[in-house]
Order: sequence, then C-alpha cells, then structure tokens
Amino acid sequence: MTRFQLIAIRLLLLALVLTAWQVLPRNGIINPLLLPPFSDVLSTLWEILGRPQVHEAILVTSAEVIVAFVIAVPLGAAIGVLIAEHDYAGQIFKPLLFYVFSVPKSIFLPMFILIMGIGFQQKVAYAAFSTLFIVIMSATAAVESVRTDHVLVARSFGATRWQILTRVYVPSMMPILLETLRISMIFNFTGVMIAEMYASRTGLGYLIANWGENFQLPQLFAGVILLAVVAIAFNEAVRVLEHRVSAWRT
Amino acid sequence: MANVSPVLSIVRDEPASAAIEVAGLTHVYDGRDGKVPALTDIAMTVGAGRFVVIVGPSGCGKTSLLMMMAGLRHQTSGTIRIQGRPIDNPDPERVGVVFQEASLFPWLTALDNIEFPLALRHAPKAERAERANQMLNLVGLQGFGARYPHELSGGMKQRVSIARGLVQDPPVLLMDEPFAALDEQTRMTMGHELLRIWSQTAKTVVFVTHSLTEAVYLADEVLVMSARPGRIIGRIAINLPRPRTYEMMATDIFGCLRDRIWQQIRKEG
Repeated sequence: MTRFQLIAIRLLLLALVLTAWQVLPRNGIINPLLLPPFSDVLSTLWEILGRPQVHEAILVTSAEVIVAFVIAVPLGAAIGVLIAEHDYAGQIFKPLLFYVFSVPKSIFLPMFILIMGIGFQQKVAYAAFSTLFIVIMSATAAVESVRTDHVLVARSFGATRWQILTRVYVPSMMPILLETLRISMIFNFTGVMIAEMYASRTGLGYLIANWGENFQLPQLFAGVILLAVVAIAFNEAVRVLEHRVSAWRT
Repeated sequence: MANVSPVLSIVRDEPASAAIEVAGLTHVYDGRDGKVPALTDIAMTVGAGRFVVIVGPSGCGKTSLLMMMAGLRHQTSGTIRIQGRPIDNPDPERVGVVFQEASLFPWLTALDNIEFPLALRHAPKAERAERANQMLNLVGLQGFGARYPHELSGGMKQRVSIARGLVQDPPVLLMDEPFAALDEQTRMTMGHELLRIWSQTAKTVVFVTHSLTEAVYLADEVLVMSARPGRIIGRIAINLPRPRTYEMMATDIFGCLRDRIWQQIRKEG
C-alpha cells in the first residue's frame, strides 16, 4: 500500500466519523443535547477562541505543562541514573519506587492542595510528581541498555570516566531517553489536566470541567478539541526532536 | 606444496626482542563458593612482529588473559610487560584491542568509529580523518566510510573493528575471537585478510580462538590452554611458509599440526 493510499484511507475514516457526528444528532438518532452536531461544535470553538478567558487558559495550561516537564524530566533522569549506577542505592530504592509507581498518583492530589493551595505552583508540583516516577524507571532502563562491551571498547582506548559518560552512555541511552520524553509528556499533561479539573480557577482543564458541570455541551466539546490540539502539538514537538537525534536507528 | 617442510618441534628458543612478556601470572576471583582459581602460573613470551594464537576450551580463561594484557583487568599476581614496561591500565599507544563482537558504536559511521580512539585524545580533525581513511583502505573498505554499522555485513564490521584497533598504530594488537560470530566462508576470508594486514603493518598479534583450523592457518606459534584453572599446556610452532594459502589446509602437514593441538587439548579434558 502506498503512502498516498494510507493517508487517503485515514482521511476517509476521519471524514466518516465527523459525518456521523454531524448527521446522527441532526436527525435525532442521538440526542443533540448530549452530542451537539459537529458544525455547532465548530462554530462554538470559533466563538470561544475569541474569548480572553480562553486565551489566558491556554497560556496558563501551556506554562504549567512546560514548567512541570522541565522540572520532572532532568530530576527523574538524574535519580534514575544514580539508582542504576549505584548498587546500594539501586537495591534500596528500586523496590520502593516500583511500589510507589504502581499507586495512582491522583490520590495524592488533595495533599498537594492542602500544602500549596490551588495555584500555579500546586499544578506544576503535582504534574511533576506524577511524571517523576515514569522518568526514573525509564532512565534506569536506559542505563541498563548501555552495552558493557561498548564501555570496554572505550576503556581499551584509554577513555576517561567523563569520556565514557559523554561518548558511550549518553548516545547509548538516547533512544530510550527520547521515548521517555514523549511518554513523560503524556503523563505530565494528564497531571496538569487532573489538577486543573479537580480544583482550579483557570486553565483548559478548569474550563472543560466547568462547562461540563453547567451542561454547556457545545463548549465542552469545543474545549476537548482545543485541548486535543494543544496536547498533540506538545507531543509532536517532542517527536520531531526524537527523530532528529536518532537518525542512525533503522 | 613441495616447500612445506614438516616441522612439529616444540618452541624452545625465544626471539631476542620480546613485545609481550608474561611471568608467573595467576588469577583468582571471588565466586559464590569462595575463591575460584581462573589462571595458574601463566608464562609466555611473544617476540616482536610474531603472530601467536591461544586456543583452549571454553571458560579456560583465555579471554581473561587477553584482557589482562590489554590492561582492562588486573591479575591476582604475576607480571605482564608490553614493550618492556608493565601494563596496569589500558594504553592505546602500546596495545590495540579487537573484540569478539565487533562492538562498533551504532550511532557512529564506520569512519567515525575508526576515528573514535583519536577523538578521545583530541587529535586534530584533519589528522583524524586522514588516518582513519588510511585504515579504511588498509582493511579494504574504501567507499564504505559513511555507512552505519547496521548497514554493514558481519565481516565488514570486523574489518572496521580491526581498523579501529590499528588507527593509533600500536605495536601490539590483541584479538579476542574476532571471527567467531562469522559464517565459515567469511571467517576464512577474514583470516586471509588479517594475514595480509599483518604483513603490511608488522604488528605483534595475540589472537584467541576456538577454531584449530584458524589457529594453524594464522599462527607462527600456537599456545594451548587447559580447562579451568587455565594453564599453558602446549606450545606448537607452525613453521608453514608465508604467505599462507588456502591450499595449505589440504596438506598432510596442516592436518598433522591441527591434530597435534587437538591431542593436547583432549589429553587434558
């Protein structure tokens, strides 16, 4: 199947879903109060995009996502590398982290609110917290993916510890680290959304939760589309980076 | 094949200038059930420019011995001198190593892999490229410098690995079963190529292998090691003329030499 055909089929599927979204509520097969027709949602989307309140929400949410990401990823990576490289640290912390990792992070959200209130800091702190563990686990896996024979080769040519780190560890770990970036972005974004929807005065999550509570379904669906676009944009940004750095992989 | 003389003598006289001298080397490591002797009282001398092959059963410690000669592992006792000086740490000025898996860095091109040792020493870019290209030609890979390892065949990867081992022009080249993962035909070709490269560069080579045919084909001298704890139980001179040819493998003398090594190994087992 050619690339063109694949794209054509995908677009066709999308058109099919959107047509159903348009036609079914219009004809009353689905209650339009629960699923407003696609054209209504689109016009609502256009309308809310003009509201300053929505502009502010996009900015706040994006800022929270970026700041939380910039905190969680380097911190998690550093902890992960430390655990993987230190036998003792690994033996002590690995099982503990593994157990904490399996606990849903959202149950800690009320504590964040009690400690930090419901502002920007709390959103960032909670999102970073909910992302940290996946980064730690992945960074540990990345270190373990470094081949011992590669380290041996570098040592045989007289590499210093720093050279082994920068010229063997970093490039070896890069594929897993880049994948981690993308997965962490998903965790991170989810963390911000949950925090905003749970208790907040601004942000896209807050708006969507609010519209839902007030039964404003065209606004709710418009908000979902808007949020999907923002989330995909963040994800694609990370993917472009990933693609550039790992050109050598098949 | 008239000029192939039947010489099966044990090597007695050592060459005047030794590139590698191992004396009283013993290695013991901490296993689960206490101390495990791995190498016992190894003594060997390799003359400059000689091609010495070490054979022995799996787990006899021949790779460990090679890693110690490379300064990558430390023996419990005994001395190893390379070019007259003890080797405690890796010294790429004196020793180049070629590993079992070609162990090329998959994120670097063939040329960048060959340049890697020079890059570690911060050699100027122009010098690096020139030197790496020379090596690429030496191993017969001109035109393949821009390929990544996953775009090269098993034999080509080992050629790159040999080029990398030689790029700093060390007098000694240590090779740890470099062709073990290759198919039989490629393995024969690579053996032949290695001898060509060796004759052009005049290195001292220590080559570890499982293959007795490979050992006889390549070596000036074959050292036979026992099962663990590894000891050297035989030294067999291979006085076949050089350059070696594939036809020699079919000769009686070649078969005798291989058989003699096999007898030594079997006697131990």
